[in-house]
Amino acid sequence: MTALAPPHDVETTPPVTVAAPAPSRRTGSRSSWLALAPFVVYTTLCLGLPTWALIYESLRRTDPATQQTSFTWANLTTAWHGFYLTALWGSVKLSLITALISVIVGLIAGYAIVTSRGTVGKQLVLALSGVLANFGGIPLAFCFIATIGTAGEAVNLVHKVAPDFALDTFTGVVAVYPYFLVPLMVLVIVPTLEGLRPQWREAARNLGASTWQFWRYVGLPVLAPALLGGFVLTFGGAFAAYATAKALTGGTVPLITLRIASVISGNVLAGQENVGAAMSINMIIICGIVMAIYLPLQKRSARWLQA
Amino acid sequence: MTGVNSIALATGRPIAQRASAAGLDLTGLHRAYGETRALDGLDLSVAPGELVALLGPSGCGKTTALRIVAGFERPDAGSVRVGGTDITTVTPSKRDMGMVFQSYSLFPHLSATDNVAFGLRIRRVSSTVRRSKALELLELVGMSAQADRYPHQLSGGQQQRVALARALAIQPTVLLLDEPLSALDAKVRLQLRDEIRRIQISLGITTVLVTHDQEEALSVADRVAVMRSGRLEQCAPPAELYARPATPFVAEFVGVMNRIKGVISADNRVRVGDQSLAIDGEHPPANTPVWVLTRPESVRVSVQPSSQLDGALIQVATFLGAITRLTLTLPDGTDVKADLPSHEAGQFPIGSYATVTLADRAVLIVPRS
Amino acid sequence: MVASLRRFRWWRLAVLIILGIYFFGPLVAAFLFTVHNTRLHTWSFAPYGQMFGAAGFGASLRMTLWISLLTIGIVMLLMVPTMLAIHLRLPKARGIVETICMVPLVISPVALVAGVSTVLGWGLNNQGSWIFRLDAQLQSQSLPLILPLIDVVLVMPFVFRALDAGLRAVDIKTLVEASRNLGASWLLTTWRVVVPNLRTALLSGSILTLALVFGEYTVSSILGFTPFAVWIVQDGQGSGQLPIAVSLLSLLLSWVVLFFVAFAGSRRFRVSPASPTPVSSAVRSI
Repeated sequence: MTALAPPHDVETTPPVTVAAPAPSRRTGSRSSWLALAPFVVYTTLCLGLPTWALIYESLRRTDPATQQTSFTWANLTTAWHGFYLTALWGSVKLSLITALISVIVGLIAGYAIVTSRGTVGKQLVLALSGVLANFGGIPLAFCFIATIGTAGEAVNLVHKVAPDFALDTFTGVVAVYPYFLVPLMVLVIVPTLEGLRPQWREAARNLGASTWQFWRYVGLPVLAPALLGGFVLTFGGAFAAYATAKALTGGTVPLITLRIASVISGNVLAGQENVGAAMSINMIIICGIVMAIYLPLQKRSARWLQA
Repeated sequence: MTGVNSIALATGRPIAQRASAAGLDLTGLHRAYGETRALDGLDLSVAPGELVALLGPSGCGKTTALRIVAGFERPDAGSVRVGGTDITTVTPSKRDMGMVFQSYSLFPHLSATDNVAFGLRIRRVSSTVRRSKALELLELVGMSAQADRYPHQLSGGQQQRVALARALAIQPTVLLLDEPLSALDAKVRLQLRDEIRRIQISLGITTVLVTHDQEEALSVADRVAVMRSGRLEQCAPPAELYARPATPFVAEFVGVMNRIKGVISADNRVRVGDQSLAIDGEHPPANTPVWVLTRPESVRVSVQPSSQLDGALIQVATFLGAITRLTLTLPDGTDVKADLPSHEAGQFPIGSYATVTLADRAVLIVPRS
Repeated sequence: MVASLRRFRWWRLAVLIILGIYFFGPLVAAFLFTVHNTRLHTWSFAPYGQMFGAAGFGASLRMTLWISLLTIGIVMLLMVPTMLAIHLRLPKARGIVETICMVPLVISPVALVAGVSTVLGWGLNNQGSWIFRLDAQLQSQSLPLILPLIDVVLVMPFVFRALDAGLRAVDIKTLVEASRNLGASWLLTTWRVVVPNLRTALLSGSILTLALVFGEYTVSSILGFTPFAVWIVQDGQGSGQLPIAVSLLSLLLSWVVLFFVAFAGSRRFRVSPASPTPVSSAVRSI
């Protein structure tokens, strides 16, 4: 017996999942890449072109007097000031608040779902979440208008608690957005919650950890990427939403999506289209940052829960 | 020379100092889940420093027993004592036991070192001491090279080594192993099993190992407790379990066992075919039809002349290395397994007939209905 | 873990009740709003009947249906070959395609429509050229082709995910190799092996697209067209019973459909993880 030899691993190196490319004769050949051509062409035209147009227009300015167009940073700087900044800031504030609400409520709801017995109920609620998360927009706004709008069925109830509440204000929008953000959060957090293995809890207890210590040292850290990812995703969702806010407020609350829309629809001074483009670029940048944060977090969370 | 001894020499102090290890006593444990009785009166004592294996088929209650010892389940009746102190109602986090789970128990967000140091962190050990102890233990289990790896970067066997180090880090009174090797590849399993035993002996820690693999139990345990339907069938050292099983269940669960038809004859003997065997101990009255249980190594096979066409028909020859196991069919239709040295196996080609003789004393007699 | 949480059963129930009120309350209230006339204190389902006769209802509905069909057609013709190519031949391209498909999520619909509007504006500056004519056609009030084109982009992330999951679930690579090994041509393989096994994914992708197009307001309204969602808002200025009745109906309808797909889809995969259409029988019945 190898009692005296140093204990070492004869096992294989840690499993690395690599999808080995198929040993097919035509892998990677020219004809295969051609199969992607329609997709590439389409996205270039319908996605790339508009994006390029935005970048281009945001950097140009037409002098109203001479009708000369020139390249300038002025639009981008304007988009960060005054009227436009209010809208940007309004959107950021709205998104932060609703994302925070959605993360907390979503976590609690997710926990309630995961820990309940009965698979049918669970499936039901999860399918419902999938459906709800994809909807905001007009029907949602109208339902809320019918409920707690100025002539709503339940608006008197609300006014007993919050006499100043009005649906077509910032607060009103904050009340409505979680309707589609919380299901989104639930969809994000439930897989992670289900991935919390009971062995971790038992191992922690066995090693002497109290419930609080478990959550502090194991539970929450493991959930953290998913929580952060959920926050960022709901932030992005709230930030980019348009239809709901438009239907609720008619464009009166300063939000960047509403401003851009009014610029494009020609509701403001002519010559502002370039600033509109600049604002759109701002939006894209912010959403891009959102995605850049979310994706690595989601990958890390998935990796941990796989092991 | 490496392993425990060298570490002790290098650091001047052994990793786990057990002035006197504590014994574990399970008395009258009962546990039912609704209609199912998981434990039906289990009594077991583990001596200090001993490794007892709880062995049995799925559903026999061995895991339930272990979880009750660990504190994750409460028994409906009965008690658990460690070193004489009753801990039946003590919460798991205060029981001072180290547990290794079957799989997936490492904290995924912590490196191997941090996993091992977890119990020490809970006990507010300073981080430098924590780290050095953790590294010591990782060295003990052969994982120092992977100290900074994360669980998803480790193979199954590596994860279980880290899990063992983690359980040992808190210097527990009792070590509990819940089928730690079941999820691993065969080769890894064998290697790790020896190492676990080696470490357990050197630390002198009282250990309970739960397994369904009888080979594993026989090879590492000081005593094996065979369980069935929530009760203990027999608890004895491996050799005794093998040679003198107390019940037919134990006889057939441990090792390979033949069942041959026989009839009790007068004068404490049993007739099997043309043979008459002596019986030790109690037996049913004369003329009772019985099953005679005997091991393959007690079955002798001898060549018979090719002209003689009765006797046992050789059906299968399984090469097991030094031994070849023949499966023969007796004239009455029962199958018998017989072991013989492989170099003799050539004399017994498949399809030919051979004479089967049993060793003089039967292992066990069971009445045949 | 579950054991210790049984103590909190009341807590869990409370949470689910509160959430239930928030999520179902507005629906109930909206329904009550549509059938209860507060002034006259009468109850009637009149709005639901009125909607069919309301001005513009038929036209917008027809336009939306037409847009959805086009969108589904384009997106499937575009995405199915692409996804197949990735899964069968070009695993390396998957990252790029996935990233491209996620871009519409980053460029929110508003920014996208801003860009599209700019491009269309460019086109209108080139009077007399073919670009101008194309531009005008895309924006024609009766058949705005621009809308399906953009909707395809908006729906790409979801269709990608649906098809990707579907292809992964049935291990399309093995099936196709088996089929080709048994002698089937590419066309036959696609028709008899790939498509039947992707039925659920194709169905759920199509229904997601349908739902999205029906609910699409942002792009259509900003560009000035009047499909269904836009019509709902325009008509009655959002406070009458009629628009709310229409909203409720369209909401519930799409929910029922999506719900059905989600449930049916998951059950199918649970029941038969490895029992897609048998390859050999499909090929042999030529």
